[in-house]
Amino acid sequence: MSRSPVVALLVATVSTNHCNKPVDAGDPLRGLSREEQDRFRRGRVVFDSVFTPETGLGPLFNAVACGECHEDPAAGGSGDEVEVHATAFRAGAACDPLAGEGGPVIQLNVTPALKAALGIDSEPFPRDATGRGMRTSLAIFGRGLLDAVPDAAILGYADPADRDHDGIRGRPNRFVDGRIGRFGRKAFVPTLDEFNAGAFVAEMGVTDPAQPIEETIGGAPIPPGVDPVADPEINQEQVDLTNDFVRFLAPPSPAPLTNEGRQGRELFSRIGCAGCHIPTLRTGDSPTPALARKTFFAYTDLLLHDMGADRADICLGLATPSDFRTEPLIGLRFAKRFLHDGAATTLEQAIKLHGGEATGARDRFNGLAGAGQAALIAFLKSL
Amino acid sequence: MKLGPVVLLAVLIPLALRAARPQQTAPYTYQGTIQAVQLKAGSLDLITGVGMALRLVHVQTTSGTHIANGSAPLALGDLKPGTVIRAECHPSDQGPVADRIEKVAMP
Repeated sequence: MSRSPVVALLVATVSTNHCNKPVDAGDPLRGLSREEQDRFRRGRVVFDSVFTPETGLGPLFNAVACGECHEDPAAGGSGDEVEVHATAFRAGAACDPLAGEGGPVIQLNVTPALKAALGIDSEPFPRDATGRGMRTSLAIFGRGLLDAVPDAAILGYADPADRDHDGIRGRPNRFVDGRIGRFGRKAFVPTLDEFNAGAFVAEMGVTDPAQPIEETIGGAPIPPGVDPVADPEINQEQVDLTNDFVRFLAPPSPAPLTNEGRQGRELFSRIGCAGCHIPTLRTGDSPTPALARKTFFAYTDLLLHDMGADRADICLGLATPSDFRTEPLIGLRFAKRFLHDGAATTLEQAIKLHGGEATGARDRFNGLAGAGQAALIAFLKSL
Repeated sequence: MKLGPVVLLAVLIPLALRAARPQQTAPYTYQGTIQAVQLKAGSLDLITGVGMALRLVHVQTTSGTHIANGSAPLALGDLKPGTVIRAECHPSDQGPVADRIEKVAMP
């Protein structure tokens, strides 16, 4: 989809806060009510709570706290953890998330009780998997705003048949129940609350009211006595507080742009990055005024795009192994690894590893003079 | 006499927690994607879940199960892997049994 380079104009009009003080990483949205601010603070306590087997951890888990993987440079930031996903992709058939074999999230740790019972150190990798996806831990700033973008806005950017002939074929993913997805590297999960509720179970083995059933151990039931805490292992209030903390996490204010950065911002649009990394999105109605009808810097269309065979790993929902959601670039300057699998340690590498629908933009980046490339990187490092 | 409230809480909290647990005996509606259909057994495997915590549910049908796509009746064999359905089930010792299965239209 072709879009005019309007980013510069938008800088003057997009409001991410109600005062001049920049929003730091980990800050709440501006404009929250006193009650919402209180829930943000209380939710952060749950977010940073360390679970143990006695409080519901496991028996399979990747981390002991939300904050273990989302911590840098503040609660809600990124982490150095890399986890494993597995599914089965067969041409002409629906993607199999291997839910009957413990997929799609394959936990890398087990509680002492499970190790004693089965002698395993991690969940067995599903024998029917056709792919292994490595997933870094993202910063989750601004996810409440992404959650509040109407489905219609996402669908408005879709162009699966490439009717405008720009080589970009954005399309929505759908969750198992048919709803349009937007969260996760494959845009599989429809809402932030569901992503969080699922993460308690899939990442920490902590069951909650939305998913009160522990997963199997590679398809086999949990051995008796290994997980004595009654399900659900946390209550709805704890989940709700966590949801409010994550929902109210503000996007950090972009750093002030230098002249070089301003040139890079213009290049970002001119070479086609903004074809998928759409600079701004607008939220719809929300019961939280701080989230309602806000235009914010997102740098995503929340759609799937083919990123090329070199980056392909697993299918999920309607996403083929090479399809990935356009990564939001909110808080990009805090990231230390890039792309879904952390394959790039610099932004230059990340751009050069783009393929598929991003091939044109990548090639145009490669064709820039050194100063142009440096300007574009300077812009990205301001986000 | 501070023991009174403590004793009361000790009785009420377990009751409240029990009430919060899913009622395994109540009818339940699953909405998910069909993973597989077993025609001979008259059953299907459904992928459901929350977020990335997905679960596989084995749903049994009977001769009384009403299967439809809108107002058009369907047979179990018309349901294919990848199809999104809503299944109204009642529990049994062998797991959920579908009373009604509807194909979900994609917006």
